[in-house]
Amino acid sequence: MSNLENLTKVQLTNLGKILYPEIGITKAQVIEYYVKMAPRMLGFLTARPIVLTRFPDGIDNKGFYEKNMPLGTPSWVHTFKKYSETAKREINYVVCDDLDTLIWLANLAALELHVTLSTINESEKPDLVLFDIDPHPPANADDVIGVALLLKEKLDALDMRSYVKTSGKKGLHVVIPVVREYTFSQTRGFVHQIAKYLSRESSIAVSEFSRVKEPGTIYLDYLQNSHGRTMICPYSLRATPQATVSMPLAWEDVRKGLKPEKFTLFNVTEFPSNPWKELIENKQKLEARINGKPGRANPEKTVLERNSNNRIS
Amino acid sequence: MRIPKRPFWSGTVTIGLVNVPVKLYTMTFDKAFSFRFLHKQDGQPLKYQKVCIKENKVVPWEDTVKGYEVSKNHFIIFQKEELKAAEPQSSQKIRIEKFVDYLSVDPIYFEKSYVLTPDKSDEAYSLLLTALQTMHKAGAGKITLRTKEYPILLHAYNGALVLTTLRYAYEIADPSNFEELKELKEPEKKELDLAKKIVTDLSGEFDITEYKDSYEERIRQLIAKKMKGETIVVEKPVKEEAKELMAALQETLKQLKEK
Repeated sequence: MSNLENLTKVQLTNLGKILYPEIGITKAQVIEYYVKMAPRMLGFLTARPIVLTRFPDGIDNKGFYEKNMPLGTPSWVHTFKKYSETAKREINYVVCDDLDTLIWLANLAALELHVTLSTINESEKPDLVLFDIDPHPPANADDVIGVALLLKEKLDALDMRSYVKTSGKKGLHVVIPVVREYTFSQTRGFVHQIAKYLSRESSIAVSEFSRVKEPGTIYLDYLQNSHGRTMICPYSLRATPQATVSMPLAWEDVRKGLKPEKFTLFNVTEFPSNPWKELIENKQKLEARINGKPGRANPEKTVLERNSNNRIS
Repeated sequence: MRIPKRPFWSGTVTIGLVNVPVKLYTMTFDKAFSFRFLHKQDGQPLKYQKVCIKENKVVPWEDTVKGYEVSKNHFIIFQKEELKAAEPQSSQKIRIEKFVDYLSVDPIYFEKSYVLTPDKSDEAYSLLLTALQTMHKAGAGKITLRTKEYPILLHAYNGALVLTTLRYAYEIADPSNFEELKELKEPEKKELDLAKKIVTDLSGEFDITEYKDSYEERIRQLIAKKMKGETIVVEKPVKEEAKELMAALQETLKQLKEK
């Protein structure tokens, strides 16, 4: 009979500690969840700096963000050094490249893993473009789904393959993997253009930060496409009372009536497939969409015209 | 619901020349549960003692005085008798000086509430209660409890006279002193209309029973379990949990190897 020490080099501690008091989930269960999800998560996490949100005393107590690697980080954990303009100092990001690192993070009660939109290979050139669709009450899940489907229609019309997941809270994330040729300012500009278009098509979608707080609106947060900003990692737990998960979905399953909060630590492991499996291999170009076509300076216009004579198959 | 066994105080409500004899019962409770500290090894209750910081020795009551810290580590010393002399005269009276609209007093001032019950005769009590009830008024006055004098309100609540001690003005922070609040921008009409609409849409009756204290419920369940001798989740043996974790680990390691 083997024991835990032979399976992982992480020294597991306080396994019985309750991290989700409402439903009584212990740290052992959180680690078990991440162990089970590791085959689906590691491909995505590889080479990607992460920011942790840790809840050592459970989610009813204040958690804390941790960008810099925690004190006592073992030497076998990979890190990535990067100077932060905002913090005016070097930050040593943790990079989760293997199962042991994931277990180590779970043991730190790092319930939420947030990933950057670029990798350590070229941190100024994003390989993910993110549409963060965020509702402001009383807008609900159906409203978010409505805007996401509108976005999907738009991206389809541009021949772009997009991927969708729940944020684990109220919103949805739509991601386009791109080749590492663009700056954040370019990807941000692209998302902003599409968001502006959607805000004209939909009465509740808004594309400007100044309107975020308007009740009943759905904000398309293009500003997330910036250096140092992060997105919750697919399959990461959230610090919500019901232990919800940021769940990758197949577009076919994104319909009104879908309840994003139904995906939790308890049932996510039972969904066998990973709709985001091919994401990393599907890197696309934005060129035409960023620069517009020759003679057409306004990319928005391009978007509109293409949409009108390009029906989705 | 809790009913305290013994009255906390007894005396008379005095309005001019009228006296209403009453008993006072505690009505509000701060904590859902109070726990006592015990010695881990043998479960014996622990007591607090005053320990001298310098000598690390227990100091008996008669050797203590009170100090007011004027500046860091500088104290003005008061003998017990000096403070005693400054205390208000305790009287067994609740003096009502005037009657006010109960709703005109901001709840910010409310401190603790007590139920009054009639002492011996209940005629005067019933008269005062009915008068306050029908006029929606509250008596304002004061009471001395132990060593402190409190402003109070006396009002009718659920068929009883209820006394609420109030905080003094000096015990409340004045929001107008906050810099951030001095130059608030006027909202635009459009925004204000929207805000008002939300408030109207979400308007309803206040019902305190809609609010549940989940901590209290959980502790109550844990106590019930412990009383029956059941083990609770926190004490679930770590080994049992590690078993499931280990199975998951073995499975994942296998999967990762196959890739």
